[in-house]
Amino acid sequence: MKILIATSGVPFIRGDAEILAEGLREAFSKAGHEAELVVIPFQPYAPDRIPDQILACRLLDLTETCGVRIDRVIGLTFPAYLIPHPNKVIWLLHQHRAAYELWDQPAADSLMHYPDGFVIREAIRQADRELIPEARAVYAPSQSVAERLRRYSGITSEPLYHPPANASLFHQGPAGDYFFCPGPVNSANRQWLATQAIAQCREPVRIRFAGEPGRLTGQARSADKLKGSDRIEWLGMLSEDQKRDLYANCLGVIFSPGDEDYGYVTLEAMLSAKPVIATADSGGPLEFILAERTGLVARPTPESLAEAMDTLWADRRRAAAVGEAGRAHYQDLHISWANVVEKLL
Amino acid sequence: MKINWFSPLLPARSGISRYAMQVLPVLAASHEVVIWTDQEQVAPEVHKIARVARYDPAAPPWREINNGAISFYHLGNQPDFHAGIWQVSARQPGIVVLHDLCLHDFFFTLSVRRGQDRAAYLNAMERWYGQEGCRSAEAFCAGGISAESMAQNFPLTREAARNALGAITHCGGALEELHETPACPAAALDFPYAAAGESRYRAWLAARDGMPHLPYRLVVFGYLNRNRRLGPLLEALAGLREREQFRLELCGQLWDESHIRHEIERLGLSSIVSLHGFLTEDEVEQKLSTAHLAINLRYPSMGEASLSELQFWDYGLPTLVTRTGWYASLPEDAVAFVRPESEVADLQSQLRAFLADPGAFRAMGERGRRLLKNHDPERYVDALTRFAAEALRLAPRISALALAQRIGSDLTEWLPAAASPYLLERASKEICTIFEGHRRG
Amino acid sequence: MRILIATVRVPFVYGGAEVHAVGLRQALVEAGHQAEIVAIPFKGYPPERILDQMLACRLLDLRETAGTPVDRLIGLKFPAYLIPHPRKVIWMIHQHRQAYDLWQHPLGDLHTYANGADVRMAIHAADAKLLPRSRGLFTVSRNIALRLRTYCGLNATPLYHPPRDAGRFYTRPAEDFLYFPSRINPLKRQYLVLEALARTRSQVRICFSGPAEPGLERQCAELARKGGVANRVRWLGAVSEEEKLDLYARSLGVLFPPLDEDYGYITLEAMLAQKPVITCTDSGGPLEFVVHRATGIVAEPTQESLASAMDDLWNDRERARQWGDAGRQRYSDLRIDWGNVIENLLQ
Repeated sequence: MKILIATSGVPFIRGDAEILAEGLREAFSKAGHEAELVVIPFQPYAPDRIPDQILACRLLDLTETCGVRIDRVIGLTFPAYLIPHPNKVIWLLHQHRAAYELWDQPAADSLMHYPDGFVIREAIRQADRELIPEARAVYAPSQSVAERLRRYSGITSEPLYHPPANASLFHQGPAGDYFFCPGPVNSANRQWLATQAIAQCREPVRIRFAGEPGRLTGQARSADKLKGSDRIEWLGMLSEDQKRDLYANCLGVIFSPGDEDYGYVTLEAMLSAKPVIATADSGGPLEFILAERTGLVARPTPESLAEAMDTLWADRRRAAAVGEAGRAHYQDLHISWANVVEKLL
Repeated sequence: MKINWFSPLLPARSGISRYAMQVLPVLAASHEVVIWTDQEQVAPEVHKIARVARYDPAAPPWREINNGAISFYHLGNQPDFHAGIWQVSARQPGIVVLHDLCLHDFFFTLSVRRGQDRAAYLNAMERWYGQEGCRSAEAFCAGGISAESMAQNFPLTREAARNALGAITHCGGALEELHETPACPAAALDFPYAAAGESRYRAWLAARDGMPHLPYRLVVFGYLNRNRRLGPLLEALAGLREREQFRLELCGQLWDESHIRHEIERLGLSSIVSLHGFLTEDEVEQKLSTAHLAINLRYPSMGEASLSELQFWDYGLPTLVTRTGWYASLPEDAVAFVRPESEVADLQSQLRAFLADPGAFRAMGERGRRLLKNHDPERYVDALTRFAAEALRLAPRISALALAQRIGSDLTEWLPAAASPYLLERASKEICTIFEGHRRG
Repeated sequence: MRILIATVRVPFVYGGAEVHAVGLRQALVEAGHQAEIVAIPFKGYPPERILDQMLACRLLDLRETAGTPVDRLIGLKFPAYLIPHPRKVIWMIHQHRQAYDLWQHPLGDLHTYANGADVRMAIHAADAKLLPRSRGLFTVSRNIALRLRTYCGLNATPLYHPPRDAGRFYTRPAEDFLYFPSRINPLKRQYLVLEALARTRSQVRICFSGPAEPGLERQCAELARKGGVANRVRWLGAVSEEEKLDLYARSLGVLFPPLDEDYGYITLEAMLAQKPVITCTDSGGPLEFVVHRATGIVAEPTQESLASAMDDLWNDRERARQWGDAGRQRYSDLRIDWGNVIENLLQ
């Protein structure tokens, strides 16, 4: 088949959607199809011109090229997924979140700063509501995105998972004496929960963090004074190889973000056959964790997190078993590019 | 719904402040309301109804305002009360409530007198009235046309609704009659008025009954300028043989007191007509409960609803009104009409009719009172919020129209006429599909 | 500077325009700028689709990203060069030729549609009215600049650029063959060269390389056989980069007589390899570079004239070598390098 993958790109900014798009293109290629990326330039920072850019996408014609039909268009991000095509499948990696759940979040580019921001918000929602259903099928990258799509736009979609980058390079090693907490360090990932939790652990738990503590919020800075702070190690910037090795040799992985859409970390941990300790309000990651079987789900408090860490630290056999179960679960979930290709076509 | 409310507020001396006191409590009872103001002072009673927040018209706090789902902007002709509100409404689409329909003076004052910037005014005149508007505007700026004439011919009502989600008036058909139908959804609602309780009403009736029948007490209330038709009223009285059976009380600020006094002298009405200036609430109640007929003439009128008319009905007072504007829409059996083209003659015939059958007029007043149930603030708030919710659902049309304008602007620069029909239709159809399609939330 | 290069992509087609954009981007990056290519998908039929896509381009907003301004937009092809930007420079690879020199030409098809004329007018109007809004109007060749003047009354400056891998060309002592490196199709006129070859007095030999359109290779072989010159031609098909460089280097001279070529990388490649070029008076682009009897021969597009040109080269090797050297000198004199391009585009 001749396939075009339509995505929106902000010039000079390489988003994860584009990385995914390339992964998808490769996957189509491997499956014997001809696939190309179509990247439509998108400027989201002038909200009053977003309607113009929606219309621009609607005016493009991807039905054929030089007399040869384009068999399928895969739409990934807003507003490129609005380009019309009779055989379009949307894999909704990104809506314009500023018009949805980020409407009232204090981001610098929030629509709320604009006097007519709500008009633009409604216009974007109307365009999505009206035009997404044109597609033959709508997929979402996770259950939480599918749920959001249903709640805001009344559109039903099926979750379709994809593997993290370089999935095949993750490996399992013997469990060492540390938990691994991957980065980046920011308020979304809530590393401070873990730094405070360690003070409450009974066991001599150790945690190795990717990144530097400089980016932590105020709460965590004071963790320096807390008990257990000598059992925390900040590893700074890590190469991909170093990261994979840390996964491979840890006892378990700590991943406690607030409302994450997807959660590559969970999958990376599963690929490394390591148990995950996640928090109940994390969103995306929880879709992959079978509580108590492939990971532990703590409440988002230092106390609860400490308890989970203690549990695994004290019972290495259980930790290993949970890790293995995680790897098995990954297989069961059919998280592979081959599966993605099959569904999208 | 979370509602942002922008209006003049007590103690501002605008009828809309009192209107707000009728409406806000009802609104705040079932919606979360934030009252926005740029006034120096706001009366304590207002603070009791809902949270009052301040804004600077030059730099409104959009984030905070956007916490509300929709904004209500109350517009009228007085720049002192409405300039700030207008400035916010021009940038954030909301529901504009047009308390006055003739806003020429407002826009002229705002841009030319206050802003020292003719361009905004001239642009508006051209935008709505084309070349003729442009020329007249220039002539007016040079002093060649009267303000009344400009106001009548170029009300600029649509300018107020230019960026609005929806527009509310209190007079059905007024916008159409003025040829000022806006592009946004519009609705006419009965002006809200909370009638006094039955026991209070009966006390008023008792007070009136307790008064000697003769002479009959005629009252005129409010800000008495030229369009209140005092001249024709005095003439009509003067020419009435039976004038001694009436006493006329002019209650309120006179636009030209010395002129009126002179006229009263000249027409020999000094023993019949008295001037009372601005009255307190209690004094107003005293006057209205003991009057027999209220004279509520307005000409010219631009479709504004009359709060005072509703107040007269509250008291069960029969009224004489000019058959024009909002008054023309009132039921025949609830008011007595005076035609603008024969004011003096009609006034005299109505006064004689009153003398012939005061009971009929009293019954008319009672019918007026019964009509007040249509003006129940609960009904008003219900209709207003339903309209607002619907207008909010149609918000994407604002984006659609703005986009269409930008495209039109661009295409005029380069697209030749022959290819225009196709591309304009294609773009319009697509814009409609995207923003005004059938799948609504 | 942050620079965006605006061009057009026909999906699954990768040709000279794509190479050009990539070359420009690379040159900009090497000169220390941040540069990215913005490629708008384009389908040029039916004609009303062209109007749609023109409007789509007018609707895009590339003035800034994430609050930082885009310092320059370089527009290369229609309709991407219509994208509005306050600091736009046009370096035109192509107008939409269907509306210009290919209108009512056998190779065009816009005129075959009922609304073709209206769309043609719209394209003319857009070019004429919107191109002057850019800060600079350049073309890749004088040929295109002339067309812009003729059809739109616009003045554009030709701005030449090097072929890909310009630095890799080298020269060697000439051997006994002329080289015709282009892909094989009627516009390149291999057939004319074969007919001319049959008329040469000397035993001129030619190596042809490049992929052929289906059936054409057999036709050409047939033509050679009929002319009795089959033993003096070699068909090499698609060759590797290294082979191509080698063939240029060892050739006696380069044959490139296409019909109204827009630019002609081959001419420049020959000059870089220090070889004389034989081209024709109606070849277009090459004429901007080849100086008759100084860096090569500009023949009439006839069998006799071409045959005579080939004989001239074949029979005077020393003069051929001198012409080749002069060609290399001319290349330098014309400042055909990316530095010059960037200087002009970013001034």
